Amino acid sequence: MTYATHEGAKRHGSLLTVDAKTKTRNAAETRFRIYGIIAILAGLSFLVILAFSIIRSGLPAFSANMVEVELTLTPEQYADAEAQLFKTRAYEQVFNAAFTSELQERGLDTEFDAESIQRIIGNTGATLRSFYRANEDMLGQPVTFNLPTASRVDGYFKGRLLRENVTDSRFLTLADLDLADELKEAGLIQSKFNWTFITGKDSSVDNPGGAGIGASVVGSFAMMLVVLFLSLPIGVAASIYLEEFAPKNRWTDLIEVNISNLAAVPSIVFGILGLAAFIQFAHLPQSAPLVGGLVLTLMTLPTIIISTRASLKSVPPSIRDAALGVGASKMQAVFHHVLPLAMPGILTGTIIGLAQALGETAPLLLIGMVGFVAREYPGGLASAFMDPNSAMPAQIYTWAARSDDAFYEKAWGGIIILMVFLLAMNILAIILRRRFERRW
Amino acid sequence: MYDAPTPGSKVDQTDIKITAKKVQVYYGDTHAIKDVDVDIVDRAVTAFIGPSGCGKSTFLRCLNRMNDTIDVCRVEGEIKIDGEDIYDRRIDPVQLRAKVGMVFQKPNPFPKSIYDNVAYGPKIHGMVRNKAELDELVETALRGAALWDEVKDRLQSPGTGLSGGQQQRLCIARAVATQPEVLLMDEPCSALDPIATAQVEDLIETLKEQFSVVIVTHSMQQAARISQKTAFFHLGNLVEYDDTNTIFTNPSDSRTESYITGRIG
Amino acid sequence: MPVFWLVLILLALGVGGYVFGRSRAMASAGGDSRKLHSLPNYYGSNVAIKALVPSFLVLFIWLIAQPMFISSQIAGQLPDDIVPEGGSIGLIMAEVRRTAEGIDAIVAAGGMTEEMASSGRADITDFTARLQEAGQVVTGTVTQPILRAAQSYRSMTATGSLAMTVVVLLMTAAGLVYGLRETFPEFRARNVVEASVKMLLIAAASLAILTTIGIVLSLVFNTVEFFRIYPASDFFGSLTWSPSFQGNSQLGIWPLLWGTLYISVIALLVAVPIGLFAAIYLSEYAPKSVRATAKPLLEILAGIPTIVYGLFALLTVGPMLVKVFGDGGLGWMQSGTAVMTAGLVMGVMLIPFVSSLSDDIINAVPQAMRDGSFGLGATKSETIRQVVLPAALPGIVGAILLAASRAIGETMIVVLGAGAAARLSLNPFEAMTTVTAKIVSQLTGDSDFASPEALVAFALGMTLFIITLGLNVFALYIVRKYREQYE
Repeated sequence: MTYATHEGAKRHGSLLTVDAKTKTRNAAETRFRIYGIIAILAGLSFLVILAFSIIRSGLPAFSANMVEVELTLTPEQYADAEAQLFKTRAYEQVFNAAFTSELQERGLDTEFDAESIQRIIGNTGATLRSFYRANEDMLGQPVTFNLPTASRVDGYFKGRLLRENVTDSRFLTLADLDLADELKEAGLIQSKFNWTFITGKDSSVDNPGGAGIGASVVGSFAMMLVVLFLSLPIGVAASIYLEEFAPKNRWTDLIEVNISNLAAVPSIVFGILGLAAFIQFAHLPQSAPLVGGLVLTLMTLPTIIISTRASLKSVPPSIRDAALGVGASKMQAVFHHVLPLAMPGILTGTIIGLAQALGETAPLLLIGMVGFVAREYPGGLASAFMDPNSAMPAQIYTWAARSDDAFYEKAWGGIIILMVFLLAMNILAIILRRRFERRW
Repeated sequence: MYDAPTPGSKVDQTDIKITAKKVQVYYGDTHAIKDVDVDIVDRAVTAFIGPSGCGKSTFLRCLNRMNDTIDVCRVEGEIKIDGEDIYDRRIDPVQLRAKVGMVFQKPNPFPKSIYDNVAYGPKIHGMVRNKAELDELVETALRGAALWDEVKDRLQSPGTGLSGGQQQRLCIARAVATQPEVLLMDEPCSALDPIATAQVEDLIETLKEQFSVVIVTHSMQQAARISQKTAFFHLGNLVEYDDTNTIFTNPSDSRTESYITGRIG
Repeated sequence: MPVFWLVLILLALGVGGYVFGRSRAMASAGGDSRKLHSLPNYYGSNVAIKALVPSFLVLFIWLIAQPMFISSQIAGQLPDDIVPEGGSIGLIMAEVRRTAEGIDAIVAAGGMTEEMASSGRADITDFTARLQEAGQVVTGTVTQPILRAAQSYRSMTATGSLAMTVVVLLMTAAGLVYGLRETFPEFRARNVVEASVKMLLIAAASLAILTTIGIVLSLVFNTVEFFRIYPASDFFGSLTWSPSFQGNSQLGIWPLLWGTLYISVIALLVAVPIGLFAAIYLSEYAPKSVRATAKPLLEILAGIPTIVYGLFALLTVGPMLVKVFGDGGLGWMQSGTAVMTAGLVMGVMLIPFVSSLSDDIINAVPQAMRDGSFGLGATKSETIRQVVLPAALPGIVGAILLAASRAIGETMIVVLGAGAAARLSLNPFEAMTTVTAKIVSQLTGDSDFASPEALVAFALGMTLFIITLGLNVFALYIVRKYREQYE
């Protein structure tokens, strides 16, 4: 071996001076590290932008500009109105009278235009009529009505609709907006918390103000119950078999391959399965949360099985040996010792699987759980599972697909509610893990 | 405890390659190396022996700052190579490691061809200008590691396909190819069978003509066979450091004697 | 709901069997449970299992088989000329069922007596009027044969349900008696119960295979049906996708496949560099504290439902891109929904997917590799680029393939963000559509279920399933091989 050029073993210069080659290499090193930081920052900034758009666009859905009017309808007026040909018109007149006196009380001297008021507040007659028909005992007593403004006016106050984009039409004129501004200033129109959005049902395409997510929350909840009660026992049973009892043979290999592949099958394929198997073949009712729950169960099972097996695996074999050593059968060892120890992990995995299922949309659309189905609250326990309903994400999709930006606001608002549910579930999972996690 | 080179030893001061003074190493709260002073001679084999966990490998990894890659590890004291403190702030560990190469306990060839394994160091350090020079360097290194004849026909096959002993010699060739001045070997034969061990030992014998070799070994026989100087570590202390002959025939510390005669360790 | 009550009765019988079996076991041992082979609970469970498992099995099979059997019987009774040209027997049967359900509902609501409903001399016009009045939507008017079929459907269903109830209850009773007769001290109840529990476990595990079979069957049957009425050569050969409700649809898959691939490629171009560099930084460079916060934060992106990303694409990213590339800016983009919009957003969604998989894979590269490289004086980036990444390459390729399969199967982002027009174009700022988006639109529209416009969705689903399955199997194989290499 020859290193002819150097005397002895002196082949390197002084270490105290950094040579040029090392400098370029160190520069490359720094660049590489910066790419990494940029990648992290990019990922995190997407998260921030996403959170920001959700909150900024979604919060307005939780408030609504309302007109508060107190009026008294005498039984005579009621009988009179019900006797007329155009009944809502009669109620409208009652309302207009009350509203005019309210205006005068506040000393607001405005050119009063009944049609303009109708455009700002919407169909007051119908609201009044349906209230009194349902509550005849309130006749003759003062009742305070909180009437939502028309969605265009509401949008105007929230900045969704700009004056320069308004052309006079039978829906809205610029003069209406002037009047609305005055009413707002006088405190007759107030921005209030929009309970309708939380508790309401889906509304028709031309009534964004009346749309609420409540009914589809019930639909989602019913589905989650189905998923929980099916996927937890089935998932745990399958995992126990595969982890504790399964011999190494072709059948179990086939099951393993199947599970890992099913976990990666696109969710829409499960929708097709649900449509073909549950609705076409088994004739289960369309749009029913029960069917939605079944589809989501099949979809989440692989996830739950994978995480459950991990929890079972983390219980050390010494526990099993100890149980077998005192004469327990293998089944007893698993059900009395391994399963309880793995339970926190299993529950955590199940909650995360449920959260995934809660946000799933595409398969629900295929089995008919689209948003506009959620017109009514279910009448009872059975109907919560069997009657057509929607689910939160499908409701959001339906709103997003309507080309009225008042519905976009609802869609963003719906996302806030959906995310609150997901956040709660994830926090629960984290607490479970922190509280009960055992390190061996 | 070891103090200053014993009078009468044949070490000439000009031949000292590495001087370590009052070196302390901490792993978090654990004090792993306590107050080690040692001088390592140029172009000779120095063996570090001692029971497992005594700190010999830790100390070895201080010599080319491999401990930097461990977060919780902290080194104090002074280690000088050719009179330059390697823990000086101006020192670039990358340059240092080109000068102080290392061979590990388990053969760890990269998942590349034999050729690329050896060429890796010269390439990253920009030591060659063209392919011909690189070919030459790879051949020299492989010959230096006594591996050339066995692999010259399959330079492009993966390095992981070689036998254990060949892999370790490939790793030595890989270290030699960067033309270091010091070669650190951390139990290089512990994963090898006796025949491969003999081959590597023969190789070390020839390497010492070109490099200062520092070898950590758990085998006292190996230390006796190949080294000129031996340091005995125990519980993080350097107990005794002397000519190998002296250590094995006439140790001055009773702990060294106990270890050599097999009563501890 | 008679089935519901039947199930409740069965469960009650099961509980009763358990209690009775348990006490009988104790009695047979003279009150001393030590004389029993197994714990008394096992004797109770044995009785309950013998009573419930066979009867539930029969109940389940009966519930599936009965409608199929009745349908085939009724279909045989219907006159041959009832199927109109271009229609199918399936549609007629659906109408029969609807009519029967309508009659059921009216009877339940008290709008009609049972004799009237099943009377052979029932008047057609009266029935139709009553059905429509009761809000039971019946398409068109009910014809005589359909009404007759509906009536016999109802009577057969009623007979079938009665027979089912009787058979199931008898089986339960037989099981109870059998189980109780086995209850004597020497009987190895625990072994029997455990063997049954094990069977249940096996059944649960096999559900995965059943699901796959279900998916394949539902795709295959409907795809075959589709190719019977629409030539496969057109489906795979035509470059035009233009479904129309008047028939004469052109249903070529290529524009959809092109849109799918184009969007997926853009998504991967966003997700792979960002995800990979994020993984490298987190696993090799980041201090512990940064890793502990940045990693879970990034993973939040993976937990966000796709509908949120879809809305984000439609309402935030789309308009933003139009501002830059639209008519006000560079003029390349007509509307917010485009390949670019969907691709970018999908890329963001896939970042954590790529990064966490790559992170696992990079961490699986043994530390000895890095030490070897550092020991030769390589910098960290040289070590990563020339040693760690080449070693991790197969695993990373697997991760990218899994991400690609995700992108291809993703639905909501493209439904909302990519537009609805099927076209073969190279301009990424144009609206295009994908396989998944068309599955949704063809199956949620108003088109008749037996028409090629609806059935094509199954052929699309089949294509999607085969592509993603192929990618998944291949990717999982690569990743597994990679893991084994370093274990």
